[in-house]
This record gives sequence, C-alpha cells and structure tokens, in this order.
Amino acid sequence: MAEPEAQLLRAVGLIEKDTNGDALWVWCYPSVTAELRTLLLRKCCLTDENKLLHTFVFGQYKRSWFYITTVEVQDSPALKKVTHFSIVLMAKDFNPEKYAAFTRILCRIYLKHGSPVKMMESYIAVLTKGICQSEENGSFLSKDFDARKAYLAGSIKDIVSQFGMETVILYTALMLKKRIVVYHPRIEAIQEFTRTLPALVWHRQDWSILHSYVHLNEEELEALKACTGYIAGFTDSEVSSRSDLYDVYVNLADSEITVSPVVKEAMTMGKLHKEIGQLIVQSAEDPDKSDSQVIKDISLKTKEILATLASLTEISDGNEKPTLNAEALKQKRFPPATENFLFHLAAAEQMLKI
Amino acid sequence: MEEVDKILIHSLRQAGTAVPPEVQSVRDLTPELVVEAAVRCLRAVRPALGAPLSPLLPPGISARFRLASDLAAACQELGFGGDVGYQTFLYSSEHDTRRLLLFLVEKLPRDEGERGAETPGTDLEEGSGKSGALLRAIGARIREQLGTPWVPPVCRTPRLQRLQTPPALLETHAAQLSARHDWEAEWGGPGLASRLPPQDPQVLLQQMQAAAETLQPPKGPEEAEAEVRQCRGALGGREDALRVKARAVELLPDAQNNMAKLQLVVESSSRRIVSLAGQWERHRGPLLAEYRQLRALRDSAQVAELEALPRDVSRAVYTQRILEIVGNIRKQKEEIGKILEDTRALQKEINALVGKLERTFSVTDELLFKDAKRDEVVRKAYKYLAALHENCAQLIRTIEDTGTIQREIRDLEEQIEGETSAKLPASLERILSDCRALREENALLAARARHA
Repeated sequence: MAEPEAQLLRAVGLIEKDTNGDALWVWCYPSVTAELRTLLLRKCCLTDENKLLHTFVFGQYKRSWFYITTVEVQDSPALKKVTHFSIVLMAKDFNPEKYAAFTRILCRIYLKHGSPVKMMESYIAVLTKGICQSEENGSFLSKDFDARKAYLAGSIKDIVSQFGMETVILYTALMLKKRIVVYHPRIEAIQEFTRTLPALVWHRQDWSILHSYVHLNEEELEALKACTGYIAGFTDSEVSSRSDLYDVYVNLADSEITVSPVVKEAMTMGKLHKEIGQLIVQSAEDPDKSDSQVIKDISLKTKEILATLASLTEISDGNEKPTLNAEALKQKRFPPATENFLFHLAAAEQMLKI
Repeated sequence: MEEVDKILIHSLRQAGTAVPPEVQSVRDLTPELVVEAAVRCLRAVRPALGAPLSPLLPPGISARFRLASDLAAACQELGFGGDVGYQTFLYSSEHDTRRLLLFLVEKLPRDEGERGAETPGTDLEEGSGKSGALLRAIGARIREQLGTPWVPPVCRTPRLQRLQTPPALLETHAAQLSARHDWEAEWGGPGLASRLPPQDPQVLLQQMQAAAETLQPPKGPEEAEAEVRQCRGALGGREDALRVKARAVELLPDAQNNMAKLQLVVESSSRRIVSLAGQWERHRGPLLAEYRQLRALRDSAQVAELEALPRDVSRAVYTQRILEIVGNIRKQKEEIGKILEDTRALQKEINALVGKLERTFSVTDELLFKDAKRDEVVRKAYKYLAALHENCAQLIRTIEDTGTIQREIRDLEEQIEGETSAKLPASLERILSDCRALREENALLAARARHA
C-alpha cells in the first residue's frame, strides 16, 4: 500500500550562493535541523570553490533521503545577487526520478519568481493533492512515479558488462548483508551504479541499505557504522585506506573489486557461486532480455537458494522464526563453500539459533 | 616623515585610539590624543601598568598634571631611554612625541599576519600568534580530558570514547578480563554439534562469533537506554496513528460529505500556510539583502583599508628606498673621508709651514742680532723683523679665532632652529596659563578647606 504523499515528503529547503561567494541556507519549510543543514551544505556543490556543478545528487542519512538539484543563475531579473542555488528535498522514500522532476519544476519556479512563496505553493499542492502545475504548461503528477519503477530504473546489464563474473562477489556480499564501499571520482557514476545494486537481491526490495553519497566526515561515518550492511558511495579516494568501513571495496573507476581479508572466510566462492555467476552473465548478455527480466532471472535463482535453505529449517518452540537445523545442513553433504555460504546466509536472514 | 607618521597613526588606530581621519601627522596630534594613544598602547603592552591610568585627559590642571606624570613614570618603567616627563604629554614637541610614540608602538605585541617576522620570545610571552593559540588549544583539550571520569570501555558512548584518555593499565586489564570471560563461556557452554569439515576450533569459534555478531551487536547500558527511548518514541507514533485512524472510522459513515469537508479544511490550511510563507518572505527578503550588503561592504572595506595602507604592496618600494638611502650614506661617507684627508693634509702643511717659519725666524733673528750690536740699520731691521713677526702671529691668531667663532655661530644657529621647532613661546604661554589656573585652584581648595 503506497503511503500518502504527506508522509513521504519531509522538508524542502533552499541554498543560495551569492556574489560575495557565500553559500547560505536562505529558506526551508517546515524545518531542517542544524545537523542536517551542515550535512546538506556539504553535499550540495556550492560550498567548495573547485567543485564542479552537479545538477542532481541524492543520498541517504539516518533513514532519510535527500535530493539536491543545483542550478546556475544567468540573467535572472528576480535574482540579482545570486550566482547559483540548490533546492533540497528531504523524503522518506527512494525515488530519484520523481524528486528530480519535482525539484526541477521548483527550480524553474524559483528562477522565474525569485521568491520561495511560489515554490511553497507547488510544494503544498504536491503534499496535499499529489499534483502541481509546472512552468511549461504541464503538470507533475506524483503518482506517475511509482516506487517500483525507481527500483528498476537502474541498468543491471551495465554492471554485468563492467564486472563480468565478478558480479557474483557483489551478489554474495549483498546476500550476506555485508558492507560494500564504492569509489569513483564522479558522483553521477557512483549514483548510477549503486542505485542498481540492491536489485541483485530483489526478494528483499530494500533500498534503505543504499547510501549513495557519503563524505569522510565523523557524523556521517558514525551513522553509517550504525547499519549492519550497506552500500556506500564515496568520491574521496582516501576511503580505500579506511579498511574499518568495508568488507568489499569496489573501485568503480578501475573496475576492481577487493574483498577484505576479514570476510574472505565467509565469502569463499564455490560451485554454487560459479553457477550463479554464469547465470547472471548469460542473462545479461542476452540482447533480447530487458534489465527487469535479468533481475527476474536472478531473483528466481535466489528464490531457489532460499527454498533450499527453508527446507533445512524447522520451527522450534520458543522461536517465532524458523531456525536452521545444522544437522540437516550437514546431512545434505553440500560442497564446503556452499555449506559455508548457506550457513552465513542463515545468519544474515536471522535464522540461526542463538 | 609623512610615511612614518601614517604608519604610526595606523598602528595607534589598531591599538584602539580613536584618531580622527584629518590627523595625518604627529604634528596635528593634540595632547588629549597623545595621552589616549599612550595609555592604550601601555594597556596593550602591559595591562598591569595601563589599567589604573585613564585614557581621557581630565579638564582640571592638577589632575592633568598627575595623569601626565604617572604616564611618564610608566613609560620610563617600560624602558624608554629618552627624556620623558609630564611636559612630553601636555606641552609636547613634535620630535619628542614622535620618539615616544614610536617607542610604544614598537613595544606593542605582534599580531599575526600584520607585522613582519615574529620573535619566539614575544609569542611565548604574550601568548598571541599561531604557536600560542595551539598551546592554549592543547591545554584546553587536556583539561577537558582530565575532567571526565574514567568509564569502562563497554559503557562508553562514541563521544566519550574519543574523549577518554587511555588509562592503560585499567583498560588493558578490563579488556583482558572480558576476553578471558568470553573464552571461558565459549569453551564451558554446550558446543554446536557441527559436521563441518574438521577445522581448527579457533577458526570455527571465530566464525561463530562473527556470525553471532551480525545478529546481535554487543549492548552496553547506554545502548539499552537508547533502545528504550526509541521504543517509547515508536509507541508515541503508534498512538498518534491510532488516534487518526479512530477519527477516520468515525467519519466513515457519511463518507462523501466528510471527504468534501476535509478537502476544504486541507485547502484552507494550505492557503493559510502559503500566506504565512508570504509574510515571512516579507521579513526574510530585506534581512537577507541587508546581510549580503553588509558582507559586501565589509569585504570592500577590508580591501579599501588594505589599499589605503599598501604596506605589503609597497614593501618593494620601501626596500628600494632603504637601499637608495644606504647608497647615499655610503657616498656621503666617502666624501667625508675625502674632506678629512684634505683637512689632514692641510693641517700637515700648516704644521710644516709653522715649523719652517719658526726656524726661519730664529735663524734670521740670530743673524740680525749678531749684526745689530754694530750697525744702526741692522738694529732697525731687527726691530722691524720682530714687529713683523708679532703682527703676522696676531693675524694668524685672529684668523683662528674667526674660524672658531664661525663654528660657534653655526652651533648656535642649529640650537635656535631646534628650539623654535619646539614651539617654545606657545608652550610657555600654555604653561603660564596653566600655572595661573593651578594657583586659582589651590586658592579655591584652600578657601574650601578653611570654611569646612
């Protein structure tokens, strides 16, 4: 059941860069905490002199998604002292396309009128009715942007074409709820790559593990460490030396995946993984299959594995969830890597007896 | 001189003296300004000395006199070598005032980035400058760390973790104890019957621990508290949701009408919010514009100030000037050397000539004296010779005296110039008027004392 818009949209804010070179929070509704304000100033590309303009960035912080569209002001009669501005939207759900379209509309309104009051009208309209008029005689309908569409919008085929069989490492890491860190100097590349990764474990449909834009900052890293498994994107190359932050390190620029020695045991690959890898590669290389079909194929295989695991579990008294019967697992006499994988998968899916 | 004065006045302004912009040189400084400048500099250099002195020159003559003499004593304590007394402040000459103010400004603590190289001694003494700030920050941090009580590692919040100074012995002991305890629990408790391929039991245990940790991160009391708070928050949220749903259920029977009413309510609230936003905008807009204007002004003011006193920019000009002056001085020294040589040569000549003259005279004298006994003519010649010698000697003496007197004249002229620049008649008048005022004050006080 889709949540009503009013419970998804959290806040809207405006950051301006003026002719004095200051980047300032000039307006927000209803309110943004000071902590979030500092964070968002860091994320929007207006504070650093050298940074290039990123039209649209998004990320997650403490279970809240932020979407930032930045625009350069040229010859606007309404905004005389402003050189650039960013519109920030905080929401509870993951839907980059929807919020990119919405913030673009808000940007155009602000450019034309120079006053956030007009922006507020559109924001309230979307909040209450889910629809607002855009400047170009069109309208923005919130319901045009389905959550599932957002999940499927990424291209799994691109990932497989970049990493080939190594994609199974990412699959395993995601299945076992490990910590993945992705590095690339361009935030746009990271965003495109990381948003597609959770589709590999489609049965969970959980995009809350995605933190697509993280800086090497104390508070952000603390918030990150509070999550058990995550996908975190960094544009700072220093992150490769922070081995405390990742189990799997993906250097997207060089197309290299490194597994941290700490989890090498848990992530040993065997016959099962080879099977999965081949399936992924074959499915992705098929020109007739669309991205969503590839995802479907992968999820079918995942269901198989989960079914195998389910067959080895039992509902013992005292536990609500089925727990793994280790005896049954051993009796199947799986190859050691498969047994190891299933064992750790049970741990990740919280099926282990404690 | 004007450049020096400009720099001096700029430094005085920085020290806190309100020098009006018309004042361009030391000549234009009034006694009030001089006193204020001196007191502020004194306060900056040594607060203990400057604190009892007031920067404002009081109107009463006796009070002025007292303040000026205290100020003079303080300056002497600082180490001012020249002649300083109450007259330096009240009846000042340009030269003396400049000397004093230059001395005080030199003594001012160095600010970073403004003056040239800093001496390490000044930094440590005054505590200003980068190293001083660093030392102070280190001290504050250590004080903070020493202030927090030691908390065992399991009970720490992340912030406390960062703050704790590692009391090595206690912590390592606690860590070892807990590790030992864990180990014993692992080995003592029932093991997991596992038919996994025979591995080193250590490795197996580690696997188990790792697996367990992914499920339940170890909880300290702080985290338990946080969980309680979280649960309470969730509970509050659920209660609200329940209330909303209850209301919705109430409104359900007459669904259509209520929907329409609710929509109207929503619309009116959104209109209200938008109007409130409009009102806020009316306040926010001008405030933001003002802020930006002030920032722009401040930046331009800084730039203007920097240009008005282009010390960094014209440092090259100054060095060039200094090198020029040094060259000039060298040339002058050469010329002086030449003149000295000439003088010495001349003196040698004079000595030689005088010697020759003496010898010649004595020879001639003897010669004529011998013949003077016999011949009358020779006796007359001898007398003439003596007279000639005497007169010539007097001439020479007169010439020497003339030279000495001329030198004295030159010295006196220089003195006169110095005294006239000291504005003596004006100061004298002021002193006389002040003296009269002082006498009147004394008379008044005496009369009051007699009546009381």
